[in-house]
Amino acid sequence: MSSASRFEILQDNPGARACLLGNLGIVRGALEAGLQFFSCYPGTPSSEIGDTIARIASDADIEFEYSVNEKIAVEVAFAASLTGARSMCAMKHLGLSSASDPISSMPYVGVEGGLVVVSAGDPSAITSPNEQDQRHYSKFQYYPVFDPATPEDARKMTRYAFGFSEETRLPVIMRPTTRVCHASGMVEFAALPAERNTVKFTKNPPRYVPIPVNARRMRLELTERFKKAETLLETSGFYPRTGSGRRGVIASGVAYAYTAQVLEDLDLLGEVSLLQVGAYPAPEKLLVAFLESVDSVLVVEELTPYVEELVSLVAFRHGRQISVLGKRSGHFREEFEYSPDIVEDAVRDYLALDRRKKSTVTIPKLPPRPPVLCPGCPHRTSFHIVNKVFGKKTVFCNDIGCYTLGYGEPLNACDVLLCMGSSISQASGIARMTGNRTVAYIGDSTFFHSGLPALANAAQANDAITVIILDNYITAMTGFQPSLSKNGDGDGAKRADGFSIEAAVRGLGVEDVSIVDPFDEDATKSVLKSAKAGSGLNVVICRSPCVVHEHRVSKDFHRAPFKITPEMCNACSACVRVLGCPSILVEGSEYTIDEELCDGCELCARICQHDAIQQVIPEDA
Amino acid sequence: MTAIDGGRNSAGWRILVAGTGGQGVLTVARVLCEGFVERGHDVVSGQLHGMAQRGGSVQSSVIIDGGISPVIASGRADFVLGFEPVETARAIPFMAAHTVVFMNTAPISPFVLAQRTVKKEDDASYPDIAELVSAVTAASPRTLALDATQCAVDVGSIKTLNMVMLGCLLGSGMLPCGADAFWSMVSEKMPPALRDANAEAFSKGVVFAGGLKEAGAAS
Repeated sequence: MSSASRFEILQDNPGARACLLGNLGIVRGALEAGLQFFSCYPGTPSSEIGDTIARIASDADIEFEYSVNEKIAVEVAFAASLTGARSMCAMKHLGLSSASDPISSMPYVGVEGGLVVVSAGDPSAITSPNEQDQRHYSKFQYYPVFDPATPEDARKMTRYAFGFSEETRLPVIMRPTTRVCHASGMVEFAALPAERNTVKFTKNPPRYVPIPVNARRMRLELTERFKKAETLLETSGFYPRTGSGRRGVIASGVAYAYTAQVLEDLDLLGEVSLLQVGAYPAPEKLLVAFLESVDSVLVVEELTPYVEELVSLVAFRHGRQISVLGKRSGHFREEFEYSPDIVEDAVRDYLALDRRKKSTVTIPKLPPRPPVLCPGCPHRTSFHIVNKVFGKKTVFCNDIGCYTLGYGEPLNACDVLLCMGSSISQASGIARMTGNRTVAYIGDSTFFHSGLPALANAAQANDAITVIILDNYITAMTGFQPSLSKNGDGDGAKRADGFSIEAAVRGLGVEDVSIVDPFDEDATKSVLKSAKAGSGLNVVICRSPCVVHEHRVSKDFHRAPFKITPEMCNACSACVRVLGCPSILVEGSEYTIDEELCDGCELCARICQHDAIQQVIPEDA
Repeated sequence: MTAIDGGRNSAGWRILVAGTGGQGVLTVARVLCEGFVERGHDVVSGQLHGMAQRGGSVQSSVIIDGGISPVIASGRADFVLGFEPVETARAIPFMAAHTVVFMNTAPISPFVLAQRTVKKEDDASYPDIAELVSAVTAASPRTLALDATQCAVDVGSIKTLNMVMLGCLLGSGMLPCGADAFWSMVSEKMPPALRDANAEAFSKGVVFAGGLKEAGAAS
């Protein structure tokens, strides 16, 4: 790797400081550890890790892939580790659930090259259907779990994790949360390695094959390796202690950054003993030493009382009778992410300080700005036409992607939702029990992720469902990663020509397959009508590129916006009631189109019964 | 300190940038980060709120020196750049008497209002802008309102709105870098297409903030 790389993150300039996104701290740490293999499935808030490595992979000589799903990302990365390569894979917390099968056996088998599984958490479920505390994988599946508080933590923990993984032969989980992934902070670069691991697979079936006879031996070894992990972590430096008072605070994750900030803002950093727990299994020795130096402890951690219970247990086992406060004592709640305000309230309560002064300023009632489908989005026209053909009584099973935004008024395209790929299976279950044809919506990337086996399942039963695959050639929601349905745009991703969704569907034995452009309303309507009248499983592929991505990749992509002629508009409100397009504005009975937002898709003009909506003719035309 | 006194209550400078998706909030946060890191400062920054979709609320924090948490606590912002009136009002909890607020008065109507209007629901109108300005001023008397969108349109592109707001912040003279020095440093990295318009927009902001400073209008 050259010291004059065109990418800042690839510069070999030890000691240099930079302001990096937490996700890029992880990337830098992995580069400093000599990363050789990387795989991921994009998911907020983890996506920038893969997107960055995609760009630098060829310069940094990293074998890279956007995997089809997280289970596969983990399996490929684990196998790469068995060849001796330092390997990493990244996903969001739900991806780790999806990969739980390989995840559960990997610690038994053990790694060769260091293996780091990044699973980004999303407390408050900001961009997810649930929140999860992945720290439990430490006890549940014998994973060392790293819990960074800042981008610099993310860098140094990742850098450390590879060698640590090799020493214990344990795969490790790096678990940043949204406020670490998407925060930027100062990071100090360490040197990039001159050499990387030798890659070679040496056959050794008893070591790599967890059939029962081997698995039971591995289980005993695992206990020893996990003990070793705890011992090694004692000297890792990930449990820094500040202050010297008899009142103790133990904090983890971004809640540690909040706590340190609050104590500094209150000028109490020196008077309170603050311990960060940066990795699990947290060494009992360090916890005991801390507990012996304080008279009470407040534990500050998001989600479950993981550290709180551990600390209580350690105190009990060592006969240290002090109060361990946190969630059980009512200082904190278990749900949702914290903030400096939440931490400050609890810290003031704990230290018997006056409460924060409540602001007397009233905030006016403000309209919300929920995320909506973009102007010009092809999903909007697909939903609109499906609604017309299938009607309100049909149950619509939706899936994970931009098209989830079809939820609610006015498109009402989402009656049930569960997880990646669930739309097809849920449609099967509902159709079979109600006897009514049910619709499943699924995007191209999600279809390949986990829709394929669900479709095979529906095909074997010939369920009376219509699967509508919304193919926009891209994984749009998470930042426009390439989808299998289209050739990638370079970005370091090696792709063959786009995979054919229709060939895959037909290969599963589904005969009734149609492909339409959803902006061609007549054709789409006729295809959907025959799908509705069908007897068994049928598939309609609504194919049209993501407009936002088209604008990103092509400067020439431009559709003139539309405008409403006031004299012709009778304020019937059809355009607003039916489409939910954010570029149509209403003030009283005056309808206008925001030409800055309008993408010229023409959908509203087609709906208008009064010809009041016309395309703006460019001045230079 | 300048005629607009106040502006900090912490070791560093805590700036909150609020607006809607597509207004260039994240770009301003990034430019502030890059500029002040280049000047040798420590910067912590975070996207506090918002999804990538066009039109949603976006809040970004930039903390120059002394920042550990990327999230700014209630009443602890030293500066708020409000790109849009409703979004500025949404940032009221971050403000206190010392906070300097630059508030664009040009609204962007949330799409839910169109839905509420046609369904004849309550709260279907955009809030009264004068009331929003007074609510923000009640939270922070050092609120300076301007039609920054018009400034941007005047220099030839509504896309330069964010540079008008950035100009206001640097033009206040309260950050540890002068406006001219900051601009010459960060403008080099900007795409050439909008560079001239951006420069003009930035100086409009600087003039606005500087003009008020001379007149003592905000003290």
